[in-house]
Parts: sequence; C-alpha cells; structure tokens
Amino acid sequence: MPLNPALDPPATPPSSSAPHQRADARHDAWFRYLVRACALLVLAALVGAMLSTLWGGREVLFGDGLHFLTSSDWDPVNNIYGAWAPIYGTLVTSLIALLLAVPASFGIALFLTEIAPPWLRGPVSTAIELLASIPSIIYGMWGLFVFVPFMASIEPALSATLGRIPVVGALFDGPPLGLGLLTAGIVLSIMILPFISSVMREVFQTVPARLKESAYALGSTTWEVVWHIVLPYTRTAVIGGIFLGLGRALGETMAVTFVLGSSYDLTTSLLMPGTTISSSIANEFNEAVGLHRSALIALGFLLFVVTFIVLLIARLMLRRLALREGRS
Amino acid sequence: MTEMLLDTSLPSATLTEPESVQTSSPATTKLATRGLNFHYRQAHALKDITLDIPTQQVTAIIGPSGCGKSTLLRVFNRIYAVYPGQVATGEVLLDGENVLDPAYPLQRLRARVGMVFQKPVPFPMTIFENVAWGIRHHEKLSKADMAVRVEQALRRAALWDEVKDKLGHSALGLSGGQQQRLCIARGVALHPEVLLLDEPTSALDPIATGRIEQLVDELKQDYTIVIVTHNMQQAARISDRTAFMYLGELIEYGATEQIFTQPDKRQTEDYISGRFG
Repeated sequence: MPLNPALDPPATPPSSSAPHQRADARHDAWFRYLVRACALLVLAALVGAMLSTLWGGREVLFGDGLHFLTSSDWDPVNNIYGAWAPIYGTLVTSLIALLLAVPASFGIALFLTEIAPPWLRGPVSTAIELLASIPSIIYGMWGLFVFVPFMASIEPALSATLGRIPVVGALFDGPPLGLGLLTAGIVLSIMILPFISSVMREVFQTVPARLKESAYALGSTTWEVVWHIVLPYTRTAVIGGIFLGLGRALGETMAVTFVLGSSYDLTTSLLMPGTTISSSIANEFNEAVGLHRSALIALGFLLFVVTFIVLLIARLMLRRLALREGRS
Repeated sequence: MTEMLLDTSLPSATLTEPESVQTSSPATTKLATRGLNFHYRQAHALKDITLDIPTQQVTAIIGPSGCGKSTLLRVFNRIYAVYPGQVATGEVLLDGENVLDPAYPLQRLRARVGMVFQKPVPFPMTIFENVAWGIRHHEKLSKADMAVRVEQALRRAALWDEVKDKLGHSALGLSGGQQQRLCIARGVALHPEVLLLDEPTSALDPIATGRIEQLVDELKQDYTIVIVTHNMQQAARISDRTAFMYLGELIEYGATEQIFTQPDKRQTEDYISGRFG
C-alpha cells in the first residue's frame, strides 16, 4: 500500500540540514510501514484461519445444500452430519453463563469500587484475578468430580419446583443426571466471571469522582448513581467486557466437554446432556477421517460465524443505546 | 490566633429557634456551623469553625488553596460522606437542625442544599434528562408536570432559550458555560433552599463567567447562596458577606464591603491586597 503523500512531513525550504531532515522523514516512513504491517498481520491471520476452515469444511458445507446447517443428525457411522445440536448447545450454555456471570460481576465490581472499605479491595481483587488464572482443565475436573454429583442431588428438587411452571417447566424436566447444559453453563459462568468483573471494576474506576459527586449531591442513592451514571458512562467498555467473557464461553472446550455429557439429541431441557461446537471437536478429532473430518472443520468455521454475529449484535446494541441517549 | 475565631458580632439567635423563622427579616440565619472540625486521615482540614450564613444572601468564602474553603462547602451537604475516612464533628445547623446528626436523612439534606461543582459535569444523558433525573428521585411527576418543571429550572438558570429546541440532544454537546448553567438548573430543579457553588466559574471564559455571576445575583432572591471562589474580584462583585479562611481556620467573616475595604485582621488584609496566597 503506497504511503499517502499528504501524511509525509511538509517539505521544508532547503537548508544546511536538508539531508538530515530527509533521513528523519525516511525513518518515519519506515516506522509507519512497520506498525501498519503489525496491524495487517492480525487481519491476515484472521482471514487465513477463516479461509482455511472454510476450505477444510467445504465438503459438508457445500456438499448437501443447507443440510449441514439445518439438521441435527450427527451420525459418523453413516456419514451424515448436521451441525444444529452443537450450535444450539454452544449458544445455550453461553447464554446461561452470561445470565449468571453478568449480574454477579456487576455486583462484584460495584462493591469493589463504590462500597468496599479500602482494606478489602486488594484481597478481593486478587482473588478474582486468581480465579482467572485457573486452567480450564481444572474447572472441568472439579466440575465432573464435585459439581456434577452436587447438581445430580439438587436436580430432582429443580424438576419438582421450576419444572412444574408452565412453559419454563420444559427447561427443567428430565432425569437427574448431573451432567448437562445447565451444569456446563454454571461452570462456564464461574470461568468467565473474573474476566467480566475485572473489566467492569477497571472501567468503573475511570468514572470521574465529580460526576458521581454531582449525582450524590442531588440526593441520589448509590444504586441510582451506579445504574444511571456509572453504567451509562462506562457502557461501551462494560459491553466490551461482557463480550470478552462471551467470546470465552463460546469457545471454551475442556471444562464443557467434561460436564456436558456429549449428546447430539436436541432437547428443550437444560438438565439433559448436549454438546457444543468445541467439545464435539475435542471429542472426535482423533478418530475423524474423510467427511467426518470435514464436518469438524466446518464446525470450526461455524464458531467463527457465530462469534461474528454475536459481535455484530453487540455493535448494533451500542448504536441503539447511543441514539436513545441523544448522542447521534 | 484561635481566640479570634469567634466572631461575636453575628447573630446566633437561630441556635435554639424552631423552623418558624424561615421567611422573616433578611438577617435570619439559614445555615450555621458550631465548633465544626473536619478530619481526613491525619489532616485536620477544618479547625473549630463557627459562622452564620444569612438567608437569601450571597456569602463568599475566600482564601488561598488548601485553606479548607471547599472542604467547608462539602460539609454543608455531607457530600464528603461518599468517601470513607472523612469525619466531621461539631454542628452544622440548617434552620436550626443539626444536619451532621446521622439520623438526619441524607437524601432530604441534599434536596434542600444543592451543589454546583468547579467543573461542569453534565450526566451522560439528554439535556432534558439531566434536569429530570434528579427530580425523579424525590417526586413522582406526570410527563406534563415534569416538562413544566424542567422548563422552569432551565429558565431559572437562563438556559432555556438556548436549549429549548434540542432538549433531546446529549448534554455533552453544550459549551462549558452552558453545561455549568445546566448544572445550576439541575440543582434548582429540586427547589433547594441553599445553593453551594464550588468555584463555579474557574473553568469558564470571561463571558460565561459574567453570565453565571449575573445568574447568581438573580438567584439570591429565592436561595441562600454560598460560593467558594479563588477570584477576589468575583467575591467583591457578587457577595453580600465574605469569609476569609487560612490553614483550616476562619480568620475573618463580615460584610463584603468591610472585608475588602477595612479588614480587622492583618492576614485578611495581606491576602486581599495580594501579598500572599
């Protein structure tokens, strides 16, 4: 890409130091090329990964019309592949994780920035960061050995109470296996909690004290100040933090694979086993050949697509909020 | 020096009086402090402050940076309580009631004592919402009533004509002077009795400053105004009474004219003649 001449340093009248200035201009130009190349590298890596998964999955993606996208049959023995069950599982577990982790993170960040006495802020912040540094395989193991039996013991109670409510009841119906979408969602929520809450805490701290003081000076309560002042002020970054967590939830593999039960049956019940895109890949990659392999790679491509759509939704949401606020 | 603090020439009659004196003679005390001390960590920021602020007048607090004048203002509406570790002892009497009493409801205090800060701080909302937001906490109004109330407040702050066609726009798009008047509108919208202004013009250009000063002069018909200012000409121009503070102590307090022409204390004279500070 040629350099825009308008961006070059303005030509100066020739003087004794002209060669020196030319060298400066050259160095600047090289520097610009260098940083531009760094930025392009990211794009190239992204496009490369997308194209290669698209190419690797072409047989199932384009082989049989839209069958791969619309069907939930996944039958490696007969070489029939439909991606709907993993897509569904991915979205549902991530959604559960967000529903649990976002309010909790908000509470944590709020407590740490607005309410906690100074001596408590350090230890709690450190605890959150430690939570983020636990490898996902540990969460998976803990999930399977400790949390799944626990869920198995409370699921009958869930079915007996929430399961009786019309419409919502279908979500909590089924045998108490312990494994399943709900369990995976809860484990995921614990995993993404530190990311969301540390981003929220950081950005809540950037709200100018005078902005909060002016709100308190009008007689507002802490809740009003946080909900109407702090949150709108930091909205972009907060949504960014949530989507950082969501991105992690969508792609998380090991922990989910352990507690999800790996089943391609589509069910409405959150207590039933399911599968996600990444756990399907993790479970099957070492025995996949031919069309099966192509199907797994195509799943990888779909994860790209799902993530893009989610990011797009986030962008649109931010734009609508900005319009409502009058910042057009 | 400490014995000079008690300015016995001032009326302190309201100390024991109930609320019945609100609308009587101009010499009535609206806000008063009695032996007020303020500590922040190790710092002793206010030392035994006792003064009476008369109703519907402008009282200016002047003094060099760090003398405690903003701190004093921040005690009046207990905004300091937002931060842990800041402690005020003594009494602050609003119509004779001690507002430092933990039992005194904070939200009610802040509705009665409004505050405008040094830098204009519009909320990240529309112009209309900036004014309506504060009202909503204290009163449930219908849409129409709220619109009337917001218009009144904006008119009171001499901002209505400039913003009436863009109430739905973000307040962040206004100029600095307009933003500061919006903050004043936000404050008066709650119908407070006292308005605290903490160097309200220090971030503004001379024209915007002039408008705010004019506004302060108009507002004193309805409100008791306490203004902290760095600018001594400003204090002389707009205030009826002036308090001079130095190193956390109230050095001198009296009619503005007297403070600026024939101060009693040497330190006051040195400060207003520009010899220090």
